[in-house]
Amino acid sequence: MSLEYRIAAFVVFSLAVMFADSRFDYLDRVRFALGFLTAPIFWVADTPARVSYWIDDVFVSHSDLIAENQSLREELLFARRELQLLAGLASENQRLRALQEASASVEGHILTAEIINISSDPGSRRVLINRGAQHGVETGQALLDAYGLMGQVVEVLPFTSWVMLITDSRHGTPVQVNRSGERAIARGSRGEIPELELEYVPDTSDIVVGDLLVSSGLGQRFPKDYPVAEVTSVVHDPGQPFAIIKARPLAQMDRTRHVMLLELPVKEAEVAPLDGSVPDWIDVTQARKPEAGASADPTARVENDPAAAPQEAALATPGSDTPADPNAVLTAEAPSDEPVEDMPLPSELADIVPELPAAQD
Amino acid sequence: MEQKTNATWVVYLTFIVAFLLAIVPFPDWALNYRPQWVAMVLIYWAMALPYRVGIGFAWVTGLLVDILDGSLLGLNALALAVIAYITLSLHQRLRMFSSLQQSGVVLAMTGLYLMMTHWMKIAANQAVTSDLLFLLGALSSAFLWPWLFVLLRQMRRSFSVR
Repeated sequence: MSLEYRIAAFVVFSLAVMFADSRFDYLDRVRFALGFLTAPIFWVADTPARVSYWIDDVFVSHSDLIAENQSLREELLFARRELQLLAGLASENQRLRALQEASASVEGHILTAEIINISSDPGSRRVLINRGAQHGVETGQALLDAYGLMGQVVEVLPFTSWVMLITDSRHGTPVQVNRSGERAIARGSRGEIPELELEYVPDTSDIVVGDLLVSSGLGQRFPKDYPVAEVTSVVHDPGQPFAIIKARPLAQMDRTRHVMLLELPVKEAEVAPLDGSVPDWIDVTQARKPEAGASADPTARVENDPAAAPQEAALATPGSDTPADPNAVLTAEAPSDEPVEDMPLPSELADIVPELPAAQD
Repeated sequence: MEQKTNATWVVYLTFIVAFLLAIVPFPDWALNYRPQWVAMVLIYWAMALPYRVGIGFAWVTGLLVDILDGSLLGLNALALAVIAYITLSLHQRLRMFSSLQQSGVVLAMTGLYLMMTHWMKIAANQAVTSDLLFLLGALSSAFLWPWLFVLLRQMRRSFSVR
């Protein structure tokens, strides 16, 4: 029978393909090409969620919008204040590091993304985000939400990417207890509840319930000092060689839709000129070194932002309604809040200061 | 007999809908109950049009499922090819079965499909679930089969897919 021969041939061929896919990376290109075919399916599958968001956005009363706008504005003010403090701390940190000749650890850019699907495989915890190779996503990038670390990109398709969450049982996150500096590996739990387990922590270690776990940056994958989880239970079982410690991830794994991708730290030094051509990257760089190799682009950006901002402020002032003065000034100044260099030279100060009155009149 | 078209687009359309249903997000507690839509639609078409939907068709379909799942390339392709093979070799008997008997066969075949993908994931170090709760997906598939069968048969007849 030809049927038996055909199924045997296909089984052998499948096994070969699987072996090749797991051992080598020849088939990544095939996978990438097939990603073009499957992207519309994901797009359609995401439609209900998008429509419901759209309905939420469109069918909302004017007063609700005003109230939301008000609260967002206040939140932004608070956030900006924190950012100012942070900028001071960052520059101070930078100086201290410079004194110690340690390398700077603050990294560059983020890319906003949306979670459009979750893995249908019950054994894995992965999500699909709506950014792919077209947006410059690379394998290994860290994914954050507003509350903490979520995971890392494991597979990049043309318009989408798979992200393995830190609660996946095959994922280990190098963490550090924020209070005591104790280091551990936080592995995703094997159980039904998405949580983290700290592996191989001795009973004598100083970890208590409520401790904040931050990423330690030791795996070279995740940036340092991002909040990861909160310790929820510590059990010292005399029969067990290690303490049994569980932690709840701070990121809202199953509730959030809006997330951020961090640029790879290694990439920053090499591909700095690229960010001018990719508008989606938001610049949150806190420390730029003027002596860096690709200095032309950052300085161009630094010159552009304050130049554009006062123009907007000047455009806004002729109108009679300028009650939003403090906000306008704040937002206009925002780009120059960033520590351009850790210690501005007097000549640069002279450049920055005259712009403030210009924005006020 | 003057009709030239085979209306194969109906077959493709049902598979696309099956892909959509296969990736629609489920809540965590319901993940294990997800019906195996692609396997069920494949079983139907391999049974109804064995000369059109064969092992090669199933293999390519499985490859797309692999991309959708983000799993190892060839994993679902192999499992679906085996399902197609079993259906093809049984298709004349399957057509004679009552819908309850067919549900039983679908239960066995989707169970085999889930089991095969599970084994291959274990072999490739891609799965870690120790329990067999994922087999509940076969149960829900068998439960939904009679309705899916009636729906697909209606589509096949009204569009005269051959």
